[in-house]
Amino acid sequence: MSWRKISMKFPGKCIVCNKKLEVNEIGLWAKGEGVKHEKCGEVKELKCIVCGNRAGCPKCEFSSDCDLNLVSQLCICKNCLEKTNSFESYQNSTKKKFPLINI
Amino acid sequence: MWSEKYRPQKIADMVGNEDARTKFVEWFGKWKKGTKPLLLVGPPGIGKTTLANLAAKQFQYDMISLNASDVRNKKRIQEILNPVLGSSSLLGRPMIFVDEVDGIYGRADYGGAEALIQILKEPTIPIILAANIEVSTKMKSIKKAVKTIHLRPLPPRLLQLYLKKILQNENAKLSPGNLIKIVTGSRGDLRSMINSAQAFVTGFEPATEKSFESMDIESVVNAFFKANSEDEARMVLYSLRIDPREKINAFYSSIVTSSITKEQMTKILPILSEADLLYGKIMKTQEWRLLRYLDEILMKLYQKNSTIRYSQYNLSWPLLNRLRWDGKSIKRFASIMAKKMHISKSTFSTFYFPYILLCMKNKSLELELEESFEDILEKEMKLLK
Repeated sequence: MSWRKISMKFPGKCIVCNKKLEVNEIGLWAKGEGVKHEKCGEVKELKCIVCGNRAGCPKCEFSSDCDLNLVSQLCICKNCLEKTNSFESYQNSTKKKFPLINI
Repeated sequence: MWSEKYRPQKIADMVGNEDARTKFVEWFGKWKKGTKPLLLVGPPGIGKTTLANLAAKQFQYDMISLNASDVRNKKRIQEILNPVLGSSSLLGRPMIFVDEVDGIYGRADYGGAEALIQILKEPTIPIILAANIEVSTKMKSIKKAVKTIHLRPLPPRLLQLYLKKILQNENAKLSPGNLIKIVTGSRGDLRSMINSAQAFVTGFEPATEKSFESMDIESVVNAFFKANSEDEARMVLYSLRIDPREKINAFYSSIVTSSITKEQMTKILPILSEADLLYGKIMKTQEWRLLRYLDEILMKLYQKNSTIRYSQYNLSWPLLNRLRWDGKSIKRFASIMAKKMHISKSTFSTFYFPYILLCMKNKSLELELEESFEDILEKEMKLLK
């Protein structure tokens, strides 16, 4: 199925977030599927807490067992995971990005 | 246990839920009299209790820990908490942690929930509640009185990171397949993942690393009796997740058809009957928690170098063969004779047939029969004493 970027002629309801799409708003439409916000159409991916890049969820070995909407939103990418002392890097990054935790 | 050994010592040592941890620390840091209590919501094993424990330790509070059963009764909750809430200075710096608060409702709730809500509305000390779910309508009244922080399951890769660290510290190794199996099997539950990993590493998996979960009952029963050690046998037995009745039956049919000595049989059969009794009790009382003892009873069947092998049927092959094929011929014979004698087939088989056989054996009776019956009748005559 292909999603087409359209300018909304009529108001609609996003099939992902269930919120309204107003007239003239840009949305994604597919025949027989409905409409969704542009933002809701993006492939969800977790962020790597160490390097700050995308965690590479589509290629992750656990992709079928990981509910991206449900899990804790920061993960670790394969590159950072395979480095030596990856756990220490994770902890240091957490402390750096969330200084309050490091009390 | 590894899950205890590697329990984080600081909030910063925990893994995942960084946002939630930050909010939690913020709440604790800004806490003053009257601040809304905190409700930690999340699936089991992701660190709700650990978070509360660590906060108490790091913010130097004396944690009073309660669970749902303590707060079911109004009188009991007042007994425990009134002294703490009334004169906190005498008791150091107390804080309250109520675990599994989603379990206090229901038939066993004798006003405890109401009393707890009253306390939550006027907090004089930090109060933290933990619940697995918050969607229940009955949690609504509690939710109104608290600030909620959601803890999410951990992404599998983060679990893998933590597990690898533990394995490195323990100088232990797991095959990539088992590692992935443990991580995915835990479904975001850190504690369950650590426990499974320890079970694997400490020999709860045979040296062959062959998974018995996918094996059929025949292979499992054979693997059990062929096992080289009790641990291996136990692992095989525990991994067989089928209906308990089928499990008992499989062992019964295998044992009674085996060629073990009478003495061995005398020793083994009471074990099976013990297992059967337990299963009967479970079915009668529906106390399925007792099921955990079934495997331990069946473990007594294990003997090294046992000759017992799986058998689907609980009768020996010669007997089964005779029942199936000879029984068919006898039934046909009974049907013909019943018609001739104007009686039912069952009357013929039960009352007439033995006498007819005896008369034929003594040659005092001669019947004109099909040739196909000769063999079977001769066989039956030989069995007469």
